[in-house]
Formats: sequence, C-alpha cells, structure tokens
Amino acid sequence: MNCNFCERRCDLSDGKLGVCRMYRQENGAIRERFPHRWSTYMLSRIESLPFYHAYPGSRSMTIGTLGCNFDCRYCANGFIAKAEPETRLDTLYEFTSRELVALATKRGCHNIVFNVNEPTVSLPSLQELAGAAAAAGVPMGCLTNAYMTEESTELMAGIFSFMNISLKGLSADFCRQYLGIADASPVLRNIRQLAATTHLEITTPIIQSVNDGDIDQIAEFIASVDPQIPWHVFRLLPEHKMKEADYPNVAVIDKALAKSRKLLPYVYFHNFVGSDWVNTNCPSCKTPVIERFSLGCGGDRLSRYHCLDNKCPACGRAINIHGRLTGWNSGEGTV
Amino acid sequence: MSLAIIDGREWQSIRDLRTGEKAAGTGPCARMVGSVLRSHPFPGDIDAQGNKWVTDTALDLAGRYDPQLAFLIYSQQYYAFRFDAPSPEERARLIAAAFEEAHRFATEGGFFPVIVGTGDMIPASAYIDLSRLDGLASVSHWLTRYAGLYRPSDADMAYLGGLAGIERIIDRQEYLALFGGAPAEGDRLPDHLAVAKEGHCFRSTLLRQARMVPARNEFVPVANLETADSLTDISAGVLELLKTSKVALILMEGVGLRDFPLPARRCRNGTGWFSYEPCECQYLTISTGRHQALAYPAGYRSYLEDDEAKEYPFSGYFTSIPAGTVGTLAAARSIAVGNRSMFMHTVTGADITIECFARNLSNQGCMAVIHRQDK
Repeated sequence: MNCNFCERRCDLSDGKLGVCRMYRQENGAIRERFPHRWSTYMLSRIESLPFYHAYPGSRSMTIGTLGCNFDCRYCANGFIAKAEPETRLDTLYEFTSRELVALATKRGCHNIVFNVNEPTVSLPSLQELAGAAAAAGVPMGCLTNAYMTEESTELMAGIFSFMNISLKGLSADFCRQYLGIADASPVLRNIRQLAATTHLEITTPIIQSVNDGDIDQIAEFIASVDPQIPWHVFRLLPEHKMKEADYPNVAVIDKALAKSRKLLPYVYFHNFVGSDWVNTNCPSCKTPVIERFSLGCGGDRLSRYHCLDNKCPACGRAINIHGRLTGWNSGEGTV
Repeated sequence: MSLAIIDGREWQSIRDLRTGEKAAGTGPCARMVGSVLRSHPFPGDIDAQGNKWVTDTALDLAGRYDPQLAFLIYSQQYYAFRFDAPSPEERARLIAAAFEEAHRFATEGGFFPVIVGTGDMIPASAYIDLSRLDGLASVSHWLTRYAGLYRPSDADMAYLGGLAGIERIIDRQEYLALFGGAPAEGDRLPDHLAVAKEGHCFRSTLLRQARMVPARNEFVPVANLETADSLTDISAGVLELLKTSKVALILMEGVGLRDFPLPARRCRNGTGWFSYEPCECQYLTISTGRHQALAYPAGYRSYLEDDEAKEYPFSGYFTSIPAGTVGTLAAARSIAVGNRSMFMHTVTGADITIECFARNLSNQGCMAVIHRQDK
C-alpha cells in the first residue's frame, strides 16, 4: 500500500516507513504515527514567517511537528525536519486541537501558522486543528514545499487560508541534487491549483551559481499563474549539509532580479539583516504603501502601514492583502 | 545618534540604531569600523573559531581606535555546553581554549585583564512544562530557572506547589522587596515568579532544548580584582583600575567557580535567594554596579512591547540603551566585542561595539554600533 499524502507515494506495506517517517499503514489505511504531537507553539510576527501580504502586523502562533518529505541540503531546521522522529519524541508537546487553539488565543495570537517542518507529513492532525481553529475564528496558514498529491492539495486548501510555498528551483538537476526529489512539476501544478482558492506567497532561497539561473523562469511562472502573488527571494543562509558554502552576494542577486521586478509588482529580497528590499510599493504609482524592517534570522517586522483600506493612499489602487492590518497587541485580554 | 553598521558578508548597511532608518555613515570612524567588520566575518556561535573571532576582531579594533577600556564576552563554550553537552574532557578543552584567547587579547593588546566567570553549567536533569496552566506562563528562551506567571488560578498554584522541580514561588511584592524596588519599577514584573530547583529547567518554546543549564551559582569567580565581593563591585573596580592602566573586562560565559582556571575571588552573584543566570540582568549588574533584576526581569512578557512603535529594532527586546554602564562612565575611549549578540551594544555602553548578528545559532553576520565618536 502506498502513501497518498505526498508525491513520493512511498510504499508503506509490511511495516515500512516512508521518507518522512511520519505515516504508517494500519488495517488498510494510512495513519499518522504521532498525531497531535507538536514541536513548538511559539509567538512570531507574521512578517517574520514570512507573510508580507496576509494579516499585516498580526501575532502568529507558529507550530510544527517533525519530519519532511524533502531532503534539502541547506535546511535551516534539519535538526527537526530530518531527525528520526523517535529520537525527538520526548521533546514534543501533546495537545488536542482545542487545547492548541486555546493556547493561541490565551497568548493573544490572531492566527496559527505551521512553519517548522512540512505540513504534508501531519495532515490529519492539522485537519482536525483547522476545525477547532475555525470554530474559534482563528485563521490558519502554513509554509510548505507543496510537493503533495492533488488530493492532499485539496485537503490543504481546506485547512489553510494562506500559504507560503517554497518554490526552490526548477531544473531537474537542482531538484535531484539539492532537494532529493525527481522534479518540480508537482509543485508547479499545486501552485496553479491553490492560487484559485488560497492566498499564496512564494519563497525561493537563492544559492549563487546553483539556482540563480532559474530566477527569470520562476518569475515568468509566477506571472503566468497570477502576477499579484508576492515573491520572497531569500538570500540562502548556508545550513545543514551546506554549512561551508559561501553566502550569496547581495549585489549580484539584486541585479539578477531586475527582469523579475518588471514582471511582478511584489518582489522582495531578504533573509538578511537590514535588507533594502522589503517594502511594498504601489504597482501603479510606486508610492510606498507598506514599510518593514528585515532582521534576517531575528525576524522581519512591520514598520509603517499606509494602505488602511488595502488601497494605495495616493492613487487608490487595490493592494493584494489578505485580511486587514491587525494590531500586535489587539488579541490581548484573555489573560 | 548611535549608528548601527550591519555587515552581512560582502554587504553593509548603516542605520540609526534608535529608529532603524538608513543613516549616513561616511565619517572616518564609520569607515574604520566598517573596515574592521569586513575583515572579520563571524564564523558562527558554536564554530570552533567563534572565540578566536572575538580576540582577532577586538585586537584589530583596539589597534585602530586605541581604547583604554575593552569589554569582551567569550561565549562559544557556553553555546556548546548548552546545546551539545560535551564530555567533561571536551568542556575542559573548550574552557582552556577560551582562556587562551582572553590571554592572547590581554598580552597582545597590552590590557590588564579582569576576568569574570558568569557561572558553571550542569546537565539539565528535568524539564518543567507550564503549557497547561489556566493562567499564562512566560518562559524565556534563555533563562532556565525562572518563569513568570500571570493570573494563575488556584488550581495552577496547587499544581505548581506539587511539582518536584519547583524551589519556590514568590509574588511581585516579594520580588520588588528583594531588590528594594519602588512599585513603579515593577511594571514589567509578572504576578508571580516560579523558581526551579538547581538542574531543573522550565521548557521554553525554543526548538533546541537546553541540555546543560546554569547551576545555582550563588557565587561566581572574578580574577584580578581584589575589591570585588559582589557583581555590583566590579564596575567601580574597573573604573579605578582605568586610572592607571588599560583594562579589559572579560566575561567568560558558562564558566564558574568549579571550572575557573585562574586564582579568583568568590563574588556574590545575586542577593538573597536570587542568583543571576548569564543574561542581560547579570551583565547590566556587572556593568552598572547596581542590581538590575527589575529592568528586564525574569518572566516578563517582552513581546507586549514588540509592536511596530518599538524603537531600537536591532537591540532585541531592549526598548532603550541602558544608562550608567561602565562604558558610559569611563571618560577614556572604550570598545566592546563579543559573540553574545545584542548584549554588547546594550549592556556595555562602550563607544564602539562589535557583536555577532546570530539568533538561535543562525549566523547572519555582524553588527557594529558606534555610540560615541567624539572622544
């Protein structure tokens, strides 16, 4: 029997575990091995995750589990995502869905975002959590590699109202060598599918001389789906199996984005402290409508918000914002 | 205006430290500091070269600025202890290497070293999970023995009272009284403070769990300062020494009386039942000569002040630059260099500080702050 959550479709027969090691077969069905076990419930500014165009200014409770279906050589959370789950079980929290939502509201959070590892490896628990969150009026979002099956894509669209998809590269060589997957076509398919129902932002970590040649092509793909999708180009922070790699040159990557900026109105270049490319300008009149600070690994933050009706204050053009500006402390009060 | 120069490797940005806005930094001091940053890319918190970076950078900066006072923090071994819990032999090797770096700075730079160990580390024997309280528990990522409690229910207090790892629970008034604080100074205090027994650790939401934690360091070692019986004596002692020599005030993270390799005085690391853990309260107490357990107290909810109106965006949870620090009190030129990130520019008050810009072990480069360039 094969797993049907992600595109790897691992064989789970005879007690075998798949790449993510988070599902097993039981009585003819695929079950989570560690349901409702969570690796954290941290507070974060939503801009840090990053979501630049969803619920600006809001306080997110970020959660995660263990495991991943990718094998990225530069994974920043490799110690969680690629660890053998059994070795970290004693570090996990066990919360029911209602308990987790209650924790979020108690801590003044406006939304819940799954961002530690890949949500596809824990979909049944997340589906149940989404039910409890919806009942409490708490939106849910996630960061994902979008390497899931079409069935799972539909499921995720029902769970998450806003998603940041990591489109890491396009070439098959890159996908094989750096991500451990055959190719990116399922990711592209799922982006097209999700763009119709869900607020999307896309992130691409750039590794100089490895995937920076894909920059123009990725921008063209995003523009073909919906040019209003915000695109976060990350300066790769060498981690995990790439600790010895050089840091990408900021000026070189910035120059390589020139063509993309003509195709897409919302291109951001960050993941390093003090980036100059984190503000949103009106696509029509170029007036700055949202200003931010990038603190790199210290998290990004909203600085000034000039489009209170999600419209440019100068020319009135609508800015692609999911939800409204949300005061950081406006959720306080329960405790 | 204090200038922040951020160096992300092959890329620098100059900002107003208070507002975070871009700033002009074309003067000779900014150019000099920018050059030092370019010459010394930070290797990483637990990289084998982490402490060497402190010495190399500090010597370079001292050579160009000619300070009388250097405030250094060596933290590589602290991060290794905390997250990797190395063997006793490896711990000893790391500590010896850290002291060699301190010695190298003092001898090559011509500074008289005053060395403070911030306290021994011991294995975390048990974790205390406060996630299921009716009230709110505020557990910092870096403090392990203290947790703030907000509006705990009777059931919460009964539950906490029954936990084997809890040493005591005190209320806000008791905490204020311990430090002689006026009511207005207690704004950031939690309703109650839970204190864990030695070796027990409150679980934070940090993904990397602490494997070693600070011991209950009632005393910490101080070398080469005969007048210090308490952390609060160090600043005055250093200022006195400065009258006759160049002084390096050096903090050795994660090293206490047990492991300190030099002759040292036992120096009180707190008051009453309270012992500092290596964090801003301890550093500020050393730097200002006054107990500083109320400014950013254990268990306070720093995130409430972290809205878009917060100033000093590159200074972590600090909402201002503390006054009365040793760097500001010294009339002579001063520098600070260390691999304990934002604490260098906030707690030392030195004219020029250089620190790593690493958070949770992720390395994004370095930051320098120029507080003064008029000396």
